[in-house]
Amino acid sequence: MKLDKESIIELLNQKGVEVLDLYPNQISVNIKKDNLLNHLVFLRSIGFDHLSFINAVDFIDEGEFELVYHVWSYTHKIHVLNKVRISRNNPVIPTIVNLWEQAQFYEQEIHEFFGIIFEGNKDLSPLFLENWVDIPPLRKDFDTKEFSVRLFGAEIRR
Amino acid sequence: MEDLKANDKRSYIDNLIDFFRKRSIWMLHYCTGCGAVELPPSMTSRWDIERFGIVPMATPRQADVLLVTGYVSLKTLKRIIKIYEQMPEPKWVLAFGSCTVNGGIYWDSYNTITNLAEYIPVDITVSGCMPRPEAVIDALQTLMEMIQSGEGGAYKKYKENYEYYKKNQDRVLRKTAPILGSSETESIYQEKEGNYET
Amino acid sequence: MIAAIRVFGYSLFAIFIGLLFMGIGRKIIARIQLRLGPPFYQAFLDVGKLFARKSITHNFVMDLGMIMSLAGLLSTMLFVPVAGHMAIKTSSNLILIIYLMAIGHLGMAMAAAASGNPNATIGVSRALTMMLGYEIPFFTVMLGLIIFNGTSSLELIAQSQAGGILNWNMVKFPLGFLAAEIALQAIMGEKPFDAMVAPAEIASGPMVELGGKYLGLAFLTHAVSIFVETGIMVNLFMGGASNVFTFVLKQFEIYLITILIEAVFPRFRIEQAVKFLWTVPMSIAVVQLAIILL
Ligand code: SF4
Repeated sequence: MKLDKESIIELLNQKGVEVLDLYPNQISVNIKKDNLLNHLVFLRSIGFDHLSFINAVDFIDEGEFELVYHVWSYTHKIHVLNKVRISRNNPVIPTIVNLWEQAQFYEQEIHEFFGIIFEGNKDLSPLFLENWVDIPPLRKDFDTKEFSVRLFGAEIRR
Repeated sequence: MEDLKANDKRSYIDNLIDFFRKRSIWMLHYCTGCGAVELPPSMTSRWDIERFGIVPMATPRQADVLLVTGYVSLKTLKRIIKIYEQMPEPKWVLAFGSCTVNGGIYWDSYNTITNLAEYIPVDITVSGCMPRPEAVIDALQTLMEMIQSGEGGAYKKYKENYEYYKKNQDRVLRKTAPILGSSETESIYQEKEGNYET
Repeated sequence: MIAAIRVFGYSLFAIFIGLLFMGIGRKIIARIQLRLGPPFYQAFLDVGKLFARKSITHNFVMDLGMIMSLAGLLSTMLFVPVAGHMAIKTSSNLILIIYLMAIGHLGMAMAAAASGNPNATIGVSRALTMMLGYEIPFFTVMLGLIIFNGTSSLELIAQSQAGGILNWNMVKFPLGFLAAEIALQAIMGEKPFDAMVAPAEIASGPMVELGGKYLGLAFLTHAVSIFVETGIMVNLFMGGASNVFTFVLKQFEIYLITILIEAVFPRFRIEQAVKFLWTVPMSIAVVQLAIILL
């Protein structure tokens, strides 16, 4: 059964999450960290069966990471962005590997580049970087310019 | 580094061998970065570098010249060093584009090296981003001239200054201590994930 | 002593002709692909360079294997009459020639297996599979000729075609020639039957670990094999020749056909190649055999 966007927003509102209407086929949802798994399970139960991607954003001024779970439904043709904010000082969030298997690689990658720890994910080994001992490189407090100058001897000429 | 100009008296046999070497350069292109797209046109009908005897080869054992076509990330650097060391002598290295000289547009990236010549000896760097096939042919012809005059001997540098190269390679490939020092978040991060360094 | 010098001279001649053909072949392919191509003496430059390089060996079996493959083909060459001349006086028995030709492949297989590279092993297993494919049609054609002439001597078969183009087996048995020509494409390892080298897939197969002098030896082996294989075809189908110059010219004609096919075809997968060789040239050869027998 195909649901249109309005009825999906309605359903989500009944669940008590705040919904933002973005584009004709895209909505954005802000959720709490504790509510994340329940929310994703609910989405999956109403037909959002594809996890496209997980990405992380570093809001260094607010001291928070934002994780965005992109979920897509092939029946409703709607793209839902589920945004979760977690503290930067304690970047821990439950894993969703049991829900969508492909989340394994996204979580590994985010762990590698942001240092966010996914509780319950058994294998958070590095995917891309080798011998990395610094701050995870995509955090805002990692100064790539400084790093490049110190490690590779990049020159700054004006 | 010392001057690599060959000594003046070169025997007839040396000249003949250098002539053979110059007229039959077999290349191994390690296609990193954007540069690889410039090689098919230079090999096929339009520019046809086979007329100088330059042909692509499949393995490092058979190749004379290694083309590094573009930026080099750390993982790639590891492989490039392996390939370079597998090639039998005499061997030459051609580095393409500004990325291999000073990092190009990736100069402040955390994962691409800036100067390839610090890790393996480079004979010729081709300017451009990306060098056109004309530039590639020009570089190869310069290499041919260098071989004939006995100049192209960067591979000898690698043996003589092996410590220098090895030190540089190890510095970037086998990092053991953080470069930027650890911050607060860093310490949390490492506490939580004890096995991260393995 | 004289015999040794003759053998040496013949070997040099075969290598020279083979390398020349390789160079001209590359030039022709380049012209077909609208390129200028390397000079016709490119193969000599390549070999000269290869022998001036440092080379890396893995163990002595690899050295022996390379030498064995060159020696196998050179000894095959001794039994192929070149315009009626031969290095040493023997009977140029076809069956012996075919038997000896396999030694070259086996030497290559030995060297490749000793180098311990998986790509080389794949390449060699493909080369031996291909051997299975082309030998059956080629033997069938040869069987027909042997039955027709009542002899298995290559020299006598060549002599029996003397006297004008109409006496050539190529004209008398066009079907047999066609089948042998297809099989020859596989024997020479040219496209579409070059699955054993396949630079893009298995990194030039048996040659993957060969560098420097070893690759030079492989080049020489290939040159001699071109000489031997085209020589057999000239003797079988084009009536040999009265002098060396005509002989080489006829060899070049055979090589030219191979090169023209090579220049325009993509590559068969190995099982497709064997299947093709066992159906198309095989059935042509069987038809030819039936015509000869009836
Ligand atoms: S120099 Fe330019 S073209 Fe070459 S790899 Fe760098 S960015 Fe790409």
